[in-house]
Amino acid sequence: MSEMFANLALGFGVALTLKNIALCFTGCLVGTLIGVLPGVGPIATIAMLLPITFGLDPVGALIMLAGIYYGAQYGGSTTAILVNIPGEATSVVTTLDGHQMAKQGRAGVALGTAALASFFAGTVATMVIAALGAPLTKLALLFGPAEYFSLMVMGLCFAVVLARGSILKAFCMIMLGLLLSTVGTDLETGQERMTFGFPPLSDGIDFAVLAMGVFGFAEVLRNLENPETRDVVRTKIGRLLPNWDDIKQSIAPVLRGTSVGAILGILPGNGAVLGPFASYTIEKKIAKDPSRFGKGAIEGVAGPEAANNAGAQTAFIPLLTLGIPPNAVMALMVGAMTIHGIIPGPQVMTKNPDLFWGMIASMWIGNLMLLVINLPLVGVWVKLLQVPYRLMFPAILIFCSIGIYSVNNQPVDVAFTALFGLFGYLLIKLGFEPAPMLLGFVLGKLMEEKLRQALIISRGSFLTFIERPISAGLLLVAVAILVIALLPSMSKKREEVFTE
Amino acid sequence: MKKLALSLAAALALALPAQAQSKYPERPITMIVPFAAGGPTDIIARIVSENMSKTLGQQIVVENVAGAGGTTGIARALTATPDGYTIAMGHLGTFSAAPATYPGLKYDPINGMQTIGLAGGTPILIVAKKNFEPKDLKEFVTYVKTNTDKVNEAHAGVGSVSWTTCTLLKGQLGVPKLNSVAYRGTGPALNDLVSGQIDFMCDQIVSVAEQVKAGTIKAYAIASVQRSPALPDVPTTKEAGLPEYQIEAWNGIAAPKGMPKEAVDKLVAALDKALNDETVKKRLLDLGTVLPTAEERTPAGFAALIKRDADKLSPVLAAAPKQ
Amino acid sequence: MSLNKIEAARGWRIRSTQDLGAGLFMIALAALALFLSSDLSPGTLRQIGPGMLPKAFAWICAGLGALLAFNSLRYNGEKLSGWSWRGVIFVLGAAVVFGLTVRGFEIGPLKVPQLGMLVSGPLVVIISGLAAEDVKLKELLIFAAVMTTGCALLFKYALGLPIPLAPWLLGI
Repeated sequence: MSEMFANLALGFGVALTLKNIALCFTGCLVGTLIGVLPGVGPIATIAMLLPITFGLDPVGALIMLAGIYYGAQYGGSTTAILVNIPGEATSVVTTLDGHQMAKQGRAGVALGTAALASFFAGTVATMVIAALGAPLTKLALLFGPAEYFSLMVMGLCFAVVLARGSILKAFCMIMLGLLLSTVGTDLETGQERMTFGFPPLSDGIDFAVLAMGVFGFAEVLRNLENPETRDVVRTKIGRLLPNWDDIKQSIAPVLRGTSVGAILGILPGNGAVLGPFASYTIEKKIAKDPSRFGKGAIEGVAGPEAANNAGAQTAFIPLLTLGIPPNAVMALMVGAMTIHGIIPGPQVMTKNPDLFWGMIASMWIGNLMLLVINLPLVGVWVKLLQVPYRLMFPAILIFCSIGIYSVNNQPVDVAFTALFGLFGYLLIKLGFEPAPMLLGFVLGKLMEEKLRQALIISRGSFLTFIERPISAGLLLVAVAILVIALLPSMSKKREEVFTE
Repeated sequence: MKKLALSLAAALALALPAQAQSKYPERPITMIVPFAAGGPTDIIARIVSENMSKTLGQQIVVENVAGAGGTTGIARALTATPDGYTIAMGHLGTFSAAPATYPGLKYDPINGMQTIGLAGGTPILIVAKKNFEPKDLKEFVTYVKTNTDKVNEAHAGVGSVSWTTCTLLKGQLGVPKLNSVAYRGTGPALNDLVSGQIDFMCDQIVSVAEQVKAGTIKAYAIASVQRSPALPDVPTTKEAGLPEYQIEAWNGIAAPKGMPKEAVDKLVAALDKALNDETVKKRLLDLGTVLPTAEERTPAGFAALIKRDADKLSPVLAAAPKQ
Repeated sequence: MSLNKIEAARGWRIRSTQDLGAGLFMIALAALALFLSSDLSPGTLRQIGPGMLPKAFAWICAGLGALLAFNSLRYNGEKLSGWSWRGVIFVLGAAVVFGLTVRGFEIGPLKVPQLGMLVSGPLVVIISGLAAEDVKLKELLIFAAVMTTGCALLFKYALGLPIPLAPWLLGI
């Protein structure tokens, strides 16, 4: 314990110079401002802002990057709440209740809750990294392909709970997401799958393209159709910050979200993506009135946002202790570190202690900056909703177009997004909710990869999933979730049939 | 606005054909990197291009065009107007292995492009989980050959450097059908190597050096002519008894065929100057990169390298089992 | 809403055009996927081939679609609502135009020159703006100019992104 405080003191000594605080502040501010643009998700934001850190010394650059990272994450949540566009997989859940809150005139409360929940989760996660970073690495190593596959199966079971309305339709969406995830070049054989022989599809469908299409563009189309609903958003601004009641309602979800997110974030292979979904599932299951979810329940913002930020932060553990980036954003961070001559790995901690602990301290400072910058900005973001919609959606479109273009510098991606916009509009018309599809899509790629790996390693024996204790445990949880999720609707069905 | 005015002026100057020839470069040059920002090729491109920009007096803008194992970006660069304002940083995969891996390739790296020069080579290591039975490379070779059904090898997907180099190794050892496990990226593969789920893989020194130093995995050999200063204890394949396995994941600059000689010369000179710069050298060496020889920095030398590795890889890759 | 709003089946008729449409849509997509993956080998359990999962997912999609369509004949549900072509054409058309013009595009005989963001930007704002029923043309034109200038300054100059501005005019 005392060692941890000594380390943290060293870290804060590095991070708390005037220059580094200024860098952290600038990074956080710029990250938020770029990340808040609809269509520019965290990955695009960080990739765009990476070059501005090139001229700095390594410690300063990493501190600024940490600021950019948190700013971009929060900026992404802001777009999810205000205009229903998730910039990355982890903010899909935030759109569900966050955007509903905005529609009810509670955008400020949603944004404030997200910022406070993120700050709390970030603080806890920083402590977790400082205290347990090294031992927790072992957890990551316990997860082989079989465990991952079972974890993904469990994640898909979470998706069922996301459903508003028909569970059958939610199943359809999950399977459709899985199906879409198999488009592209096969990893193992290099064969093209379902690409129509069209080269831009050979890497599969980009998450940003799919999400901007089925959420962003389709949402614009839906709003154009119902002028009444979107005008409600404009007239009602409501309170800007959460009041005591909101906070009381959020405390427990934030605590639960933080623990779930922090644990899942440590897993390499993008475990962090499951955090918000798991948190949402838990909150919806233990809520007294689950029907409030999807209609603007504050727990549905507080829990997942805490999980999101906790996971975003503990995702640094595999990177800092093993040198293994668990997801695309972390891979970018590796690149940034490498450019500054630091190759992340097991030895960073001992070889560059000031850098290691300085970065951990700056994570906390980054979270603090997030709060300092964003609470005053909540008013500005909410005011943006008052821009007449006839100007707002062309602005969304130009930002989305540029944002999507700049992810891979591929103009075809913009046209693809339009195609998925049409697809999303069709889904809305057919009464489907796209959120489970996105989860299916994100997990599908990993799931297929891990299934094939596990079966090659086990030489084709399915028993591997049951013989390995962690994998078996996860599968049990998955079955339990499914049973709990399906039983009420089954029994309700029977009841209703009998009362007829 | 000032910049806008400047570029307007530059555009007008470009309209005067006689002057345009002698004053290359007059506007920013785009360097296409066919992989996502932050990867090994991107990092080398950014380090080298920063210094080249200073020499040329014009900014080299790095544009990441990822897709299809890097072939999308290279195809775009090589089909651009050959005016010297679009160049590309490609690697072993996109220039030497791609013709054998991607049947419908839209460019010809051997005859259809203007090479500029090699920017740096990254040695390949054969690494294994730390408690893998064989103690050295010789034992490893015998073990793999006699236990083809027991051994698991990992790679980062068809077309990746780890796949290409490991396929070459398996081809040379005569065990092309070894159990091979595909991962999305070397990061997750490395994770499973550290935890002992898989037995061995081939990867670039920059990705594995820290793990080897920390003892979480072990390295049998480095597939280059000399030992690396980053890992002085790891023997070369020649020392360890597998001299024919020589392969490097190099990165180099190329451009569309038919560009003005003046532009080629200036780019070659700028690249050479960058590679002689102390800061650039140090940053590249920190990455475990081997600096190119004087010969490899010339268009002809780089072209020869591409051809040599293509000849080495094509038969193995074409014969690789595609299940 | 198909599983929640339940009524006893009295005779077979289409009780929810939305659910029927959704079911048929799933079946159609599954059929397309099965057709596209027909040449992919499913492999064996020991070495799963590229075709196994796409085919499996497609069959499940088809099954779920059939169930959905079947339920639409038994349980009451929502009706299909109208489709707004105006939004689809202008909003999605605008994005497609941006994608085609920003760097230029060549597909078969169709050649679009590389116009850059200074042209594609206003195009995307103006075309999509026409989708609003309360569109004001003058306001939209000014807005397009302001947005494009802002985006050019932000993305091209402040962030230095390699997005072409107007190569035919400025050379960048």
